[in-house]
Amino acid sequence: MRLAFVLSEIGSGLRRNLSMVISVILVTFVSLTFVGAAGMLQLQINQMKGYWYDKVQVAIFLCSDGSTAPGCATGPATPEQEDNLRKLLQSPAVAQYVNDFQYESKDDAYKHFKEQFSNSPIVDSVTPDQLPASFRINMKDPEKYEIISETFSSQAGVETVIDQRQLLERLFSAMNAASLVAVSVAGVMIICAILLIATTIRLSAFSRRRETGIMRLVGASKMVIQLPFILEGVIAAVIGAALASVTLWSVAHFFLGEVLSKQYPDTAFISPGQTLILAPALIGLGVVLAGTSSLLTLRRYLRV
Amino acid sequence: MIRFENVTKVYDQKARPALDSINLEIDRGEFAFLVGASGSGKSTFLRLVLKEDRASSGAVYVAGQNVANISSWRVPRLRRGIGVVFQDFRLLPQKTVFANVAFAMQVIGKSRSVIRDTVPEVLKTVGLEGKENRLPHELSGGEQQRVAIARAVVNRPGILLADEPTGNLDPTTSMGIMGVLDKINQNGTTVVMATHDDDIVNEMRKRVVELKNGVVIRDEAKALYTSMIPIVGQSRRLRDASGRDEPQIIPPRAGSRAEARAEIRTAGEAQA
Ligand SMILES: Nc1ncnc2c1ncn2[C@@H]1O[C@H](COP(=O)(O)OP(=O)(O)OP(=O)(O)O)[C@@H](O)[C@H]1O
Ligand SMILES: [Mg+2]
Repeated sequence: MRLAFVLSEIGSGLRRNLSMVISVILVTFVSLTFVGAAGMLQLQINQMKGYWYDKVQVAIFLCSDGSTAPGCATGPATPEQEDNLRKLLQSPAVAQYVNDFQYESKDDAYKHFKEQFSNSPIVDSVTPDQLPASFRINMKDPEKYEIISETFSSQAGVETVIDQRQLLERLFSAMNAASLVAVSVAGVMIICAILLIATTIRLSAFSRRRETGIMRLVGASKMVIQLPFILEGVIAAVIGAALASVTLWSVAHFFLGEVLSKQYPDTAFISPGQTLILAPALIGLGVVLAGTSSLLTLRRYLRV
Repeated sequence: MIRFENVTKVYDQKARPALDSINLEIDRGEFAFLVGASGSGKSTFLRLVLKEDRASSGAVYVAGQNVANISSWRVPRLRRGIGVVFQDFRLLPQKTVFANVAFAMQVIGKSRSVIRDTVPEVLKTVGLEGKENRLPHELSGGEQQRVAIARAVVNRPGILLADEPTGNLDPTTSMGIMGVLDKINQNGTTVVMATHDDDIVNEMRKRVVELKNGVVIRDEAKALYTSMIPIVGQSRRLRDASGRDEPQIIPPRAGSRAEARAEIRTAGEAQA
């Protein structure tokens, strides 16, 4: 009975305040979309890190067909050159900086490439021959990259030495900056959302002050009086959060999946499914936002 | 049922207290009028009983319990034991008579079947049978006040507080309302009614507590709107428990009781 009563109160409150409720939905929708966008960028960063970051710090690419580096004057790296490089890596002068290293043959490189870009059409246009063999070095201290670079760049059969971590880090820091921007915009929007929810609840409480006054007098509990107002805000916020989740999914599906992955086929983008793990967090955040801001408002405007 | 011990209520530090060291006890089942000029503190008294406000000092006991010791989440339970009626009825305009009364039961979680049984019964008590489906604007003022009374008593409170319930009604309608309140009182509910309506008070011959500037200046059983027996000290209640000076005494009137009564009537009419 009491539940039915609370539900009917919520219904009438939502109807009476429809335009305010819609604005709450939209503001939470926009603010949570920005929060979610920041989350998506972090997911994307993790996605990229997942493959490279811990596996590879420094890569020594060996000469292949068409290499133009000075060390490649003799054409593709020969097995002897590879052995020399391996010995050099194992020599005490170098080994003190190295945790371990792996040799990645052309076929290995092709296999990894296929794994990583399984979503991407580029896979079909690449053959093992086009990918260079390499030594993948896991450094004890990534900062000592210079030493490896100096030692190996001039060796015969080495096309180039790349600190992949540095390349990635540049990209990641750009993405982190973008997600920071998203979070800041989200912060401002969340403040808007909180204020708007507070105003909506206040208006709602004001328009129903007759009812609540009578409820107080006949001894309705605080919960029965306040719950309809709180749930009104929470429901609006949850709808906003759901819309934000759908938007993020659509961005992952249509923009990343259909557009960007075609333009940048050599980048591994997150899948739409991965954005769905953000949805519960966004909805939870919406509930907390609406719940706290309406509780605080009611404490002032709906004394019991 | 209601006991005030040395209760003072100060709203505004600069002004005089709205209630000043009130000592008063109203027994279970009693019917008491609270009279006095505007601003004398009648509504404040009722608000303190409801714990709508807290006393600045002193203690208010309702049903044996000091309301200051009732925690805020228990206040609703206190209020379930007290029905309240106001001058302006305070009905919900978009709800029918039945729904207005049922509302008081819904919000405290009474089941649908209990509501279906109780509401018509209470509407009958207040003389509104057959009008269940009217909206408030389709009722006269007196009928609206009956709805308000029905709503106040539908949960069977031990106390009914009425703040000028007849303030908007004509004398005949007012007497009808008094009949309803009297009937509720006969059923065992303690009734405290603040009023300016001298005719009603004189007609009912119930206990009268008169306030002036926040002080009880008269407390008489079976009394009239204006003092008939001049000396406050003769009242059955007004022994000042604090032992301080007696409140201001109204100067004795000349003449016999009967004359005094006549005089009071005319005075009361002139006032009205
Ligand atoms: N909420 C409040 N804040 C400040 N002062 C108040 C408040 N309520 C009442 N007062 C003051 O307390 C005094 C007593 O007011 P109260 O309403 O109890 O009088 P009353 O006897 O009910 O008057 P009336 O017959 O006009 O209803 C008045 O001087 C009034 O101005
Ligand atoms: Mg008053």
